[in-house]
Amino acid sequence: MHGRPRKPPTPEEEKAYDAKAAKLRSLQTQFLHFHHNQIYTKEALEVCAKLVESNPEYITAWNYRKLAVEHIVSSHSESDLESDPDCIKSIFKEELRVTERALAKNYKSYGAWYHRKWVLRKGHSSIDRELQLLQVFLKQDTRNFHAWNYRRFVAALKNRSDEEELQFTTDMINDNFSNYSAWHNRSVLLSHLLEKKVDGYFPKEKVLTEENDLVHQALFTDPDDQSGWFYHHWLLDQIVKIKTPLLVYTWPPHGSNLEVWVDGCLDVEGVNSSTITIESSMHDTNKDLVWKPLSTNNSGRAQAWVTHLSFLEEKLHFSQANPIKVTMGHSEGIKAVSDMISWGDKKFHSYEARPMESSQINFSNPLKNSDDNDLMAYKWNAETVANEISLFRELLSETDCKIGKLTLARLLTALDAMILYNKTSDSNEVVHFEEVLELYSDLMKVDPPHSQFYKDEYSLVLLQQLTSTPESLLRHCYHYRDSSPSSINSYICLRLCNLSLSRIGSIEQLLWIQMLDLSHNHLHSVEGLEAMQLLSCLNLSNNKIGSFSALEPLKLLKSLKALNISYNEFGAHSVDTRRYSCSSPLNHTVGADWNFGDWNPIDGIDFTNCWEAFSIFKDLKLTQLEIIGNVIAEENFKLFLVKVMPSLKWLDGVELQ
Amino acid sequence: MYQLLPSDYQGQEINRLTLAYFVISGLHMLGAADRVDREGAINWVLSLQAHAKNEFDLNNGQFYGFLGSRSSQFQLDDNGAWIPNGSHLASTYCALAILKTVGYDLTLLDSESILKSMKNLQQSDGSFMPIHTGAERDLRFIFCAAAICSMLENWSGMDKEKAKEYILSCQSYDGGFGLIPGSESHGGGTYCAVASLRLMGFIEHDVLSKGASSCIINVPLLLDWSLQRQAIDGGFQGRPNKASDTCYAFWVGSVLRILGGNKFIDEKALRQFLLTCQSKYGGFSKFPGQLPDLYHTYYGFSAFSLLQEPGITPICVELGITDVDAIGL
Ligand SMILES: [Zn+2]
Repeated sequence: MHGRPRKPPTPEEEKAYDAKAAKLRSLQTQFLHFHHNQIYTKEALEVCAKLVESNPEYITAWNYRKLAVEHIVSSHSESDLESDPDCIKSIFKEELRVTERALAKNYKSYGAWYHRKWVLRKGHSSIDRELQLLQVFLKQDTRNFHAWNYRRFVAALKNRSDEEELQFTTDMINDNFSNYSAWHNRSVLLSHLLEKKVDGYFPKEKVLTEENDLVHQALFTDPDDQSGWFYHHWLLDQIVKIKTPLLVYTWPPHGSNLEVWVDGCLDVEGVNSSTITIESSMHDTNKDLVWKPLSTNNSGRAQAWVTHLSFLEEKLHFSQANPIKVTMGHSEGIKAVSDMISWGDKKFHSYEARPMESSQINFSNPLKNSDDNDLMAYKWNAETVANEISLFRELLSETDCKIGKLTLARLLTALDAMILYNKTSDSNEVVHFEEVLELYSDLMKVDPPHSQFYKDEYSLVLLQQLTSTPESLLRHCYHYRDSSPSSINSYICLRLCNLSLSRIGSIEQLLWIQMLDLSHNHLHSVEGLEAMQLLSCLNLSNNKIGSFSALEPLKLLKSLKALNISYNEFGAHSVDTRRYSCSSPLNHTVGADWNFGDWNPIDGIDFTNCWEAFSIFKDLKLTQLEIIGNVIAEENFKLFLVKVMPSLKWLDGVELQ
Repeated sequence: MYQLLPSDYQGQEINRLTLAYFVISGLHMLGAADRVDREGAINWVLSLQAHAKNEFDLNNGQFYGFLGSRSSQFQLDDNGAWIPNGSHLASTYCALAILKTVGYDLTLLDSESILKSMKNLQQSDGSFMPIHTGAERDLRFIFCAAAICSMLENWSGMDKEKAKEYILSCQSYDGGFGLIPGSESHGGGTYCAVASLRLMGFIEHDVLSKGASSCIINVPLLLDWSLQRQAIDGGFQGRPNKASDTCYAFWVGSVLRILGGNKFIDEKALRQFLLTCQSKYGGFSKFPGQLPDLYHTYYGFSAFSLLQEPGITPICVELGITDVDAIGL
């Protein structure tokens, strides 16, 4: 039914429908009688054949045929077979014919294709016959996925070589570069051939280069077609691993002012006291250190890991250097979550910390390793990517192609990541932030349906750019001095306001920040902020955050004292999108300790709808909160907040009693 | 109402349960639950349940779930002869979906026998046959099995680990999922994969904001593929270079919702496309300007529910039914 174009029926057609339906019903009644009574005569099979030929989706009928065929075959005695050796063959031949007729009626019939597979598995038909049949169907519809699936089945069953099948996809692609199904099958076949190192497919470089030429041809022929681009993406991934290298940062960086504790930041799992060693004159043993992943899920993996060192006071010398050495012990224990670089037995560079150093602004340094092999691989990868880049720049100079722009932006980003990772102090290779930003703003304009996606990407690149050098970051840093005379606190505040950010990134460069202003952006979530363990003041006002559960990462910020979430969209969406997930709020895990018994309801105020806010705020130790300018922020809700957070001193600028 | 379907549907007699599911669940979505004869529907659905004769029969390899309709149900044979049992995973999914939607207490069902015999359908590679007499195995039936276990709140009916492995082997080079390993990505297959993984608890809701890098599937690639399915006319297509089709607004839209990528959908354009598929008689067609059918009507309304259209009940996307919990609150 699904998939057939439909037009309003004429009266004649209506009549024909009725007649057809009546005929079908009578066939069905007869068939059920045969099926029920296990009658497998010629007549019965013919009725069944008529039925599946007019309704190929009738699985019961196909199953009856299998039973019938098995019954007939097993009832043939040996002597029958001697007198007529071809009788079994002719039975199965008839089955092949029935499926062909059913498929002619509906080539999307799962039941008919399945029945044919059953016949083939019994050893009947020939590869030529099947390929011929497929020829017909793939000519009718070159994207027929039943036919493509069946083709893979036949090729495997009849041991047709992958090379022959690859040639078939070449023919199909040459016929029409937009045949996505053919490209897909090509990727499956080529993977096999490369994996099995078949003659001519090893070493793989030559094959992949030729393949790349083929796909370039397709891309230049019809740049707006996705088929080639998806294939290109996959192919490039086979040629060079252009995943962003795993950058491992620690904070504070080498030679920095160390106060009481140390952060490690590893995009990994398995960080513990046996994989990371910390040596210092101030504490005795490494064994008791507990490393915790900073993550809102329970995967045991995180970008940032934290351990707290307790120093013995008598050993701590305030006026002199207290060096701390961080080394990686048994690197095998630590696994990168994403397989970006292999860890092997590489070592982390150690760093020492000294107090009273110049600037409060500290850059996290990527811990990296300059292995010769790595450098070679880097050069080869960078060169390949650079070639693709110049090719696509050329393509885009002639045509305005969305997916081409996206690919170019990604290639440039990948190249930049490689450059930054492998940068030596004296190299001055150019990075392409400006070009990438331009591509994404362009995409927002030419491809409005996906503008939100591009905007997120734009935000990430912009933040990368801002944090890429101390100079650019300093431009956004401000001193904040406490106005009260008793306080001598002076903070450095990073102000990233009015940048149209819809997403936060580059957190690894910002681990040192205590005060962050993200106001006047387009943020929906604060994902990633959990890594900023020193953060004590956060301004999120004038963003687009719509649900309290989006603030979940803040629960991990143990130093957070002041939070501004004014002028967001809390309470503005009557139906929270999360309600579309199956779990009801009341059996939601975070709601488990939501016990009305403990709550002396404040005169008739119903807190039933506050479970989401409760689950966030009960774990925050805020002294200051701004929430004005949100739909939800009426008086009753404020009363609720005061009750949930006894530590709160100021609410919306008003000092609480 | 399911007895008054247009003649076109008569060929689908074996799928009456499916059609009833579209009608009843659809009416609930429109807030017209009172139009359903609740008792009648419950009794009719329950009458289609296949029962094993005894405990021993549960291990005979047959599946004792629900039959698509009475034409595949045989009268009891007094002589104890072999009785074909046409219990089908899809019919069973639809039966439970109807019962859950109309608020029938599913604990009243003999779920043990459904689940115990359903296990017979799972193959060593993790996939499911839809019917014990054999038929095509693919992701559709893993989804049915997962939804059945989820609705019955009992996972003894399947080996989740094996099912997971099968699903993962269906992710294609472009990020989408084919219905079987090695096949081309497809909107329906991708829905079955992602919804099943979500129902089984292997992926979190909104993985995009909860660390896509540690997810068992390649999320960025899947996101790309899914977003590219929204075509220039605002509708969603099931595969690249295919025409937009109402139902994929639900299949692919749900995938994006589960991943947390629905914020990247151009909702305005999608709404416009869907409206061109709405018939003047009500209901939705596959393509703009055609006659509506029940299938596309149901998924058209489901898509509008994803778009949070006022007046349409929220749906539980991974089960494909109205969000009973949300209404109950
Ligand atoms: Zn459709």
